[in-house]
Amino acid sequence: MKPQTLTYLVTLPALMLALSAHAHAPSEHMKAGQAAAPDCSMMEDMDHSSMNMDDPVMQAMMKKCMKATHQDEADSHDDKTDATKPARHQH
Amino acid sequence: MTSFKILSCFKCLVAATSVAAVVGVGFLFSGFYPMGADDHHNDLTYWALQTLRERSVARAANDIQVPNDLDSSERLLSGGADYNDMCVGCHLKPGMTQSDFTLGLYPQPPDLTQAEIHQESAQVLARKHFWIIKHGIKGSGMPAWGAGHDDERIWNMVAFLQRLPELSSQQYQILSARGVDDSGHH
Repeated sequence: MKPQTLTYLVTLPALMLALSAHAHAPSEHMKAGQAAAPDCSMMEDMDHSSMNMDDPVMQAMMKKCMKATHQDEADSHDDKTDATKPARHQH
Repeated sequence: MTSFKILSCFKCLVAATSVAAVVGVGFLFSGFYPMGADDHHNDLTYWALQTLRERSVARAANDIQVPNDLDSSERLLSGGADYNDMCVGCHLKPGMTQSDFTLGLYPQPPDLTQAEIHQESAQVLARKHFWIIKHGIKGSGMPAWGAGHDDERIWNMVAFLQRLPELSSQQYQILSARGVDDSGHH
Protein backbone atom coordinates (compact mmCIF):
# COMPACT_ATOMS: atom_id res chain seq x y z
CA MET A 1 0.00 0.00 0.00
CA LYS A 2 1.31 3.41 -0.95
CA PRO A 3 2.10 5.78 1.94
CA GLN A 4 -0.20 8.40 0.36
CA THR A 5 -3.16 5.96 0.36
CA LEU A 6 -2.42 5.02 3.94
CA THR A 7 -2.43 8.69 4.91
CA TYR A 8 -5.88 9.17 3.35
CA LEU A 9 -7.20 6.07 5.09
CA VAL A 10 -6.09 7.34 8.48
CA THR A 11 -6.81 11.06 8.05
CA LEU A 12 -10.29 10.95 6.54
CA PRO A 13 -11.95 8.79 9.24
CA ALA A 14 -10.21 10.84 11.94
CA LEU A 15 -11.48 14.08 10.37
CA MET A 16 -15.04 12.77 10.08
CA LEU A 17 -14.96 11.58 13.70
CA ALA A 18 -13.73 14.97 14.88
CA LEU A 19 -16.43 16.84 12.95
CA SER A 20 -19.23 14.66 14.30
CA ALA A 21 -18.11 14.80 17.95
CA HIS A 22 -20.22 16.84 20.41
CA ALA A 23 -18.80 17.98 23.73
CA HIS A 24 -22.20 17.99 25.40
CA ALA A 25 -25.79 17.16 24.70
CA PRO A 26 -27.24 19.62 22.17
CA SER A 27 -30.03 20.48 24.62
CA GLU A 28 -27.41 22.10 26.85
CA HIS A 29 -26.75 24.57 24.08
CA MET A 30 -30.30 25.72 23.59
CA LYS A 31 -30.53 29.28 22.47
CA ALA A 32 -31.54 31.73 25.17
CA GLY A 33 -35.17 32.67 24.92
CA GLN A 34 -36.39 29.23 23.96
CA ALA A 35 -39.00 29.17 26.69
CA ALA A 36 -39.77 25.84 28.30
CA ALA A 37 -43.15 25.08 29.81
CA PRO A 38 -43.16 24.11 33.49
CA ASP A 39 -43.36 20.35 33.99
CA CYS A 40 -46.08 20.17 36.62
CA SER A 41 -46.53 16.40 36.61
CA MET A 42 -44.60 16.24 39.89
CA MET A 43 -47.21 18.48 41.53
CA GLU A 44 -50.04 16.21 40.41
CA ASP A 45 -48.35 13.19 41.97
CA MET A 46 -47.66 14.90 45.30
CA ASP A 47 -49.66 14.27 48.45
CA HIS A 48 -51.32 17.66 48.85
CA SER A 49 -51.98 17.13 52.56
CA SER A 50 -48.24 16.90 53.21
CA MET A 51 -47.42 20.12 51.36
CA ASN A 52 -46.23 23.05 53.42
CA MET A 53 -48.25 25.86 51.90
CA ASP A 54 -46.41 28.45 53.99
CA ASP A 55 -43.21 27.69 52.11
CA PRO A 56 -42.61 30.34 49.41
CA VAL A 57 -41.08 27.67 47.13
CA MET A 58 -44.27 25.62 47.30
CA GLN A 59 -46.41 28.72 46.83
CA ALA A 60 -44.39 29.72 43.78
CA MET A 61 -44.69 26.24 42.27
CA MET A 62 -48.44 26.22 42.83
CA LYS A 63 -48.79 29.64 41.18
CA LYS A 64 -46.69 28.62 38.21
CA CYS A 65 -48.54 25.35 37.68
CA MET A 66 -51.99 26.86 38.11
CA LYS A 67 -51.10 29.50 35.56
CA ALA A 68 -49.78 26.84 33.17
CA THR A 69 -52.92 24.70 33.64
CA HIS A 70 -55.21 27.66 32.96
CA GLN A 71 -53.15 28.52 29.90
CA ASP A 72 -53.52 24.93 28.62
CA GLU A 73 -57.27 24.99 29.26
CA ALA A 74 -57.62 28.31 27.45
CA ASP A 75 -55.61 26.97 24.51
CA SER A 76 -57.72 23.81 24.25
CA HIS A 77 -60.90 25.91 24.50
CA ASP A 78 -59.65 28.14 21.68
CA ASP A 79 -58.90 25.05 19.59
CA LYS A 80 -62.43 23.73 20.11
CA THR A 81 -63.94 27.10 19.27
CA ASP A 82 -61.85 27.33 16.13
CA ALA A 83 -62.95 23.84 15.12
CA THR A 84 -66.66 24.78 15.35
CA LYS A 85 -66.22 28.03 13.41
CA PRO A 86 -66.85 27.87 9.67
CA ALA A 87 -63.62 28.01 7.78
CA ARG A 88 -62.78 31.41 6.40
CA HIS A 89 -61.86 32.11 2.83
CA GLN A 90 -64.28 29.53 1.53
CA HIS A 91 -65.15 30.12 -2.06
CA MET B 1 27.36 59.98 62.95
CA THR B 2 23.77 58.90 63.65
CA SER B 3 22.32 61.31 61.08
CA PHE B 4 24.81 59.99 58.50
CA LYS B 5 23.58 56.44 59.15
CA ILE B 6 19.92 57.46 58.77
CA LEU B 7 20.71 59.31 55.52
CA SER B 8 22.63 56.31 54.25
CA CYS B 9 19.77 53.99 55.15
CA PHE B 10 17.28 56.31 53.43
CA LYS B 11 19.40 56.30 50.27
CA CYS B 12 19.54 52.49 50.39
CA LEU B 13 15.76 52.37 50.72
CA VAL B 14 15.26 54.71 47.76
CA ALA B 15 17.74 52.71 45.70
CA ALA B 16 16.08 49.39 46.57
CA THR B 17 12.62 50.78 45.76
CA SER B 18 13.86 52.15 42.45
CA VAL B 19 15.44 48.83 41.51
CA ALA B 20 12.25 46.96 42.49
CA ALA B 21 10.13 49.38 40.41
CA VAL B 22 12.39 49.00 37.37
CA VAL B 23 12.39 45.20 37.70
CA GLY B 24 8.59 45.19 38.14
CA VAL B 25 7.97 47.37 35.11
CA GLY B 26 10.47 45.30 33.14
CA PHE B 27 8.57 42.16 34.08
CA LEU B 28 5.26 43.73 32.97
CA PHE B 29 6.68 44.53 29.55
CA SER B 30 8.61 41.29 29.20
CA GLY B 31 5.50 39.23 28.42
CA PHE B 32 6.76 36.37 30.56
CA TYR B 33 3.69 36.18 32.81
CA PRO B 34 1.39 33.37 31.55
CA MET B 35 -2.10 34.78 30.93
CA GLY B 36 -3.84 31.61 29.72
CA ALA B 37 -6.87 30.62 31.79
CA ASP B 38 -5.59 27.05 31.77
CA ASP B 39 -2.30 28.09 33.36
CA HIS B 40 -3.27 28.78 36.97
CA HIS B 41 -1.82 31.36 39.34
CA ASN B 42 0.58 30.22 42.01
CA ASP B 43 -0.89 29.89 45.50
CA LEU B 44 0.39 33.27 46.70
CA THR B 45 -1.00 35.20 43.71
CA TYR B 46 -4.31 33.35 43.96
CA TRP B 47 -4.60 34.10 47.67
CA ALA B 48 -3.75 37.77 47.13
CA LEU B 49 -6.32 38.19 44.34
CA GLN B 50 -8.98 36.27 46.26
CA THR B 51 -8.42 38.31 49.39
CA LEU B 52 -8.50 41.52 47.36
CA ARG B 53 -11.82 40.48 45.78
CA GLU B 54 -13.49 39.24 48.98
CA ARG B 55 -12.51 42.27 51.04
CA SER B 56 -13.50 44.70 48.30
CA VAL B 57 -16.95 43.12 47.84
CA ALA B 58 -17.54 42.91 51.60
CA ARG B 59 -16.69 46.59 52.07
CA ALA B 60 -18.71 47.79 49.07
CA ALA B 61 -21.78 45.71 50.00
CA ASN B 62 -21.73 46.61 53.66
CA ASP B 63 -24.34 49.38 53.56
CA ILE B 64 -26.81 47.82 51.13
CA GLN B 65 -30.37 47.62 52.48
CA VAL B 66 -31.91 44.17 52.01
CA PRO B 67 -35.68 44.21 51.20
CA ASN B 68 -37.93 42.67 53.84
CA ASP B 69 -39.93 40.60 51.36
CA LEU B 70 -36.99 38.69 49.90
CA ASP B 71 -38.58 35.33 50.71
CA SER B 72 -41.69 35.85 48.59
CA SER B 73 -43.03 33.49 45.95
CA GLU B 74 -43.29 36.23 43.32
CA ARG B 75 -39.61 37.06 43.72
CA LEU B 76 -38.71 33.38 43.42
CA LEU B 77 -40.64 33.04 40.17
CA SER B 78 -39.14 36.12 38.59
CA GLY B 79 -35.64 35.39 39.86
CA GLY B 80 -35.77 31.74 38.85
CA ALA B 81 -36.50 32.49 35.20
CA ASP B 82 -33.76 35.11 35.05
CA TYR B 83 -31.27 32.80 36.76
CA ASN B 84 -32.01 30.12 34.18
CA ASP B 85 -31.44 32.53 31.32
CA MET B 86 -28.45 34.42 32.63
CA CYS B 87 -26.55 32.40 35.22
CA VAL B 88 -26.99 28.67 34.78
CA GLY B 89 -24.21 28.28 32.20
CA CYS B 90 -21.58 29.26 34.76
CA HIS B 91 -23.23 28.62 38.13
CA LEU B 92 -25.10 25.39 37.28
CA LYS B 93 -28.51 24.07 38.34
CA PRO B 94 -29.68 21.06 40.36
CA GLY B 95 -28.58 17.86 38.64
CA MET B 96 -25.88 19.60 36.60
CA THR B 97 -22.27 19.15 37.70
CA GLN B 98 -20.28 20.98 35.03
CA SER B 99 -20.48 23.03 31.85
CA ASP B 100 -18.08 24.43 29.27
CA PHE B 101 -17.78 27.54 31.43
CA THR B 102 -17.08 25.78 34.73
CA LEU B 103 -14.40 23.74 32.97
CA GLY B 104 -12.80 26.63 31.14
CA LEU B 105 -13.16 29.77 33.24
CA TYR B 106 -10.46 30.76 35.71
CA PRO B 107 -11.12 31.47 38.49
CA GLN B 108 -13.80 28.78 38.32
CA PRO B 109 -17.29 30.23 38.87
CA PRO B 110 -18.85 29.11 42.17
CA ASP B 111 -21.43 26.32 42.03
CA LEU B 112 -24.44 28.16 43.44
CA THR B 113 -26.48 24.97 43.82
CA GLN B 114 -24.25 24.15 46.79
CA ALA B 115 -24.71 25.91 50.11
CA GLU B 116 -21.82 28.21 51.06
CA ILE B 117 -19.28 26.44 53.23
CA HIS B 118 -18.36 29.44 55.36
CA GLN B 119 -21.59 30.30 57.09
CA GLU B 120 -22.29 33.98 56.62
CA SER B 121 -25.62 35.32 57.80
CA ALA B 122 -28.40 35.40 55.20
CA GLN B 123 -28.35 39.20 55.25
CA VAL B 124 -24.62 39.43 54.58
CA LEU B 125 -24.85 36.85 51.82
CA ALA B 126 -27.81 38.61 50.22
CA ARG B 127 -25.92 41.94 50.20
CA LYS B 128 -22.88 40.26 48.70
CA HIS B 129 -24.89 38.49 46.00
CA PHE B 130 -26.74 41.68 45.12
CA TRP B 131 -23.55 43.67 44.77
CA ILE B 132 -21.80 41.02 42.67
CA ILE B 133 -24.78 40.58 40.31
CA LYS B 134 -25.17 44.32 39.91
CA HIS B 135 -21.52 45.30 39.52
CA GLY B 136 -19.80 42.12 38.32
CA ILE B 137 -16.22 41.10 39.11
CA LYS B 138 -13.24 42.40 37.14
CA GLY B 139 -11.23 39.81 35.23
CA SER B 140 -13.44 36.89 36.22
CA GLY B 141 -16.05 36.61 33.47
CA MET B 142 -18.80 37.83 35.84
CA PRO B 143 -20.60 40.70 34.06
CA ALA B 144 -22.25 43.72 35.68
CA TRP B 145 -25.93 42.90 35.15
CA GLY B 146 -26.89 46.24 36.68
CA ALA B 147 -26.24 47.88 33.32
CA GLY B 148 -29.44 46.42 31.88
CA HIS B 149 -31.45 45.32 34.93
CA ASP B 150 -33.04 47.39 37.68
CA ASP B 151 -32.45 46.72 41.37
CA GLU B 152 -35.78 44.93 41.89
CA ARG B 153 -34.96 42.42 39.22
CA ILE B 154 -31.55 41.79 40.77
CA TRP B 155 -33.11 41.33 44.21
CA ASN B 156 -35.41 38.72 42.67
CA MET B 157 -32.36 36.78 41.57
CA VAL B 158 -30.86 37.15 45.05
CA ALA B 159 -34.11 35.76 46.49
CA PHE B 160 -33.88 32.77 44.17
CA LEU B 161 -30.21 32.18 45.06
CA GLN B 162 -31.15 31.91 48.73
CA ARG B 163 -33.37 28.91 48.03
CA LEU B 164 -31.45 27.37 45.12
CA PRO B 165 -29.25 24.95 47.16
CA GLU B 166 -32.31 23.19 48.56
CA LEU B 167 -34.23 22.80 45.28
CA SER B 168 -34.62 19.47 43.49
CA SER B 169 -34.23 19.40 39.72
CA GLN B 170 -38.04 19.14 39.32
CA GLN B 171 -38.64 22.11 41.59
CA TYR B 172 -35.99 24.06 39.72
CA GLN B 173 -37.62 23.25 36.38
CA ILE B 174 -41.01 24.53 37.51
CA LEU B 175 -39.69 27.69 39.14
CA SER B 176 -37.35 28.65 36.32
CA ALA B 177 -39.57 27.84 33.31
CA ARG B 178 -40.76 30.99 31.65
CA GLY B 179 -43.59 29.32 29.78
CA VAL B 180 -44.95 30.54 26.48
CA ASP B 181 -46.72 33.62 27.86
CA ASP B 182 -43.71 34.88 29.79
CA SER B 183 -41.47 36.34 27.16
CA GLY B 184 -38.73 37.62 29.44
CA HIS B 185 -36.19 39.40 27.31
CA HIS B 186 -33.20 37.14 26.91
